[in-house]
Amino acid sequence: MRNISSVLGKLAKSISVGLVLLFAVTSVSNAQDASNGGALFKANACNSCHAVGRQLTGPDLAGLTDRREESWIIKWVHNPQGMVDSGDPQAVELKGKFPTMMAPYSHLSDDDVRDIIAYLQAEEAKAAAKKEQAAAQGGGAGGSQGASTLMIVIVSVLVVIVVGVSILLSRITKTLEKVIDTNKESIDVATAEYAARGSKFGQFAKAFVRNKKLVFFAVLMIVALLGVVGWKTGWNVGVHQGYQPVQPIKFSHQIHAGVNQIECQYCHGGAFKSKNASIPSANVCMNCHNTITAGDHYDNDSGISPEIAKLYRAVDWDPETRTYGNDTRPIEWIRIHNLPDFAYFNHSQHVVVAGVECQTCHGPIETMEEVYQYSPLTMKWCIDCHRETSVDTDNQYYDQLIEAHDKLKKGEKMTAAMIGGLECGKCHY
Amino acid sequence: MLAMNKKNFLGTVCAAVALAAVVSACGDGTTRSTGLEFSRNMYDPIAFNPDQPNKNFKNGITAQTPPTGTTPIGFTRFDYENSVEGYELAGAEITVNPLTVTEQNLKEGHALYVTYCAVCHGPEGNGDGTITKDREVEDSRGKRALENFPEPPSYQKSAGTPSSRGGQMSELTAGKIFHTITYGWNSMGPHASQISPEDRWKVVMYVQELQKK
Repeated sequence: MRNISSVLGKLAKSISVGLVLLFAVTSVSNAQDASNGGALFKANACNSCHAVGRQLTGPDLAGLTDRREESWIIKWVHNPQGMVDSGDPQAVELKGKFPTMMAPYSHLSDDDVRDIIAYLQAEEAKAAAKKEQAAAQGGGAGGSQGASTLMIVIVSVLVVIVVGVSILLSRITKTLEKVIDTNKESIDVATAEYAARGSKFGQFAKAFVRNKKLVFFAVLMIVALLGVVGWKTGWNVGVHQGYQPVQPIKFSHQIHAGVNQIECQYCHGGAFKSKNASIPSANVCMNCHNTITAGDHYDNDSGISPEIAKLYRAVDWDPETRTYGNDTRPIEWIRIHNLPDFAYFNHSQHVVVAGVECQTCHGPIETMEEVYQYSPLTMKWCIDCHRETSVDTDNQYYDQLIEAHDKLKKGEKMTAAMIGGLECGKCHY
Repeated sequence: MLAMNKKNFLGTVCAAVALAAVVSACGDGTTRSTGLEFSRNMYDPIAFNPDQPNKNFKNGITAQTPPTGTTPIGFTRFDYENSVEGYELAGAEITVNPLTVTEQNLKEGHALYVTYCAVCHGPEGNGDGTITKDREVEDSRGKRALENFPEPPSYQKSAGTPSSRGGQMSELTAGKIFHTITYGWNSMGPHASQISPEDRWKVVMYVQELQKK
């Protein structure tokens, strides 16, 4: 019964999708040139503030023609500020709702604006069709409701099974106790016989201890095993290679550095200037995520990925009004690369001066969905690289060094101050 | 008896070695724990790292935000407020980049542009950065398309794109570009915390080169 209804539902959905598509195609071909509208929408950068189906900097343009007259839209595009000044009620309302004022696009002709409206309608129809299709394929929200009822059924069946099994087990125990009671005599006889024979293991142990060669061999093997295990463990004390802690937000470097090709230093800019590569503060995340909510992959009401929602919670961002609140709380990322406090490492020296790629030490970070420590970060590891890497001498440091050597060769006087002896850090560190 | 024992013993050793080999080959070498550690107090910093919790401050954070109105050493002040009026004023008053156009400055400006801007604005400022294009990822959650960032308008003169604050994108003055990098605009976030004022002027220098194209 359920099957038939779902099949019918799917059929109805696919028919409605087809109708919507047909309607979209005919309406577009009858009216304005939507493709020209699309080109204009892009060329005038309308899309940096407006989208269909969601609010960006400017209002959502879905259902625009239902809200406004065509003549109103044309007038607004040509001179928004002028409409506010003339006291148009809708224009004044918009001005109050959105802090930024739209610029006048007076170079667009009336037909251009009509084309853009046609394009927006086509986009809206396309988005609706896509949504219907997805719902028809996946069962949509109904599917997830069905899943929860299914869970309840499974759980109740499990409970029934557990109760049944425990009743059965208690019955079996009772029967076994009865059997023991009736056969008590023969059991006692059998136990006594077994004890008198001496265990098989005891016999084996006695023979083993008598054989000196075998004992020596066994001891040697145990020592060797302990040695190998101890050696391996000892060398790995405090080495965190492969460490992959669970982070508070499931941030994927594969998406951000790999697919999106965002430069490492966009977020870890400290690697250019300081010792630390620095973990970006949440405002850096918000540079993109004020717009990107990745909601299309989640079936929730807010239309926001649960991981990005954690970010919004941390910076107290309201995606509806697009404003920040004051109730911020830090994201407690777990540090993966813990260099000992007694070892000094400077990122900028390696990244800027030596030009070492991030991947040389951090591994294929652009493929890591979850980051782990790729290198051992041991002293041996540092030294191995420093032994092999040839130095780029084409910079001021080496020019000064050679100059100082030439002076010494000539027998000129060189004081400690001349070679950096007055730097504060030489004494006060 | 001995022969049997030896066979048994050797068999056990072989089994143990095989088991050890199989067990140690399991997994991809990653672990949720930091493993065995000794004298951890020698490794942990005595001073607070910027990313550590800190009870000495009211909000429990080591990395404190500088008090309002202060200027870090090496930074120059930019006394234009974060508003359309501030933007227009900066645009009118600063028409010339305070840094002189040199090959070195342009090279550094280009490098900074590639790091901080190109991902949206594209390598040539056409508004075709990687995150504005259709792209797919395949990971533990399966294959799926990623959301596109709205394309920013092109800076190039040949594109003739109007700015959402009036005028052409290719005619934006140095002050206007600097103001936008500092405070952000529309979908673009503020980049003041990522790029120092001097570096921002280098980026402006490079963007003004792109405007000529």
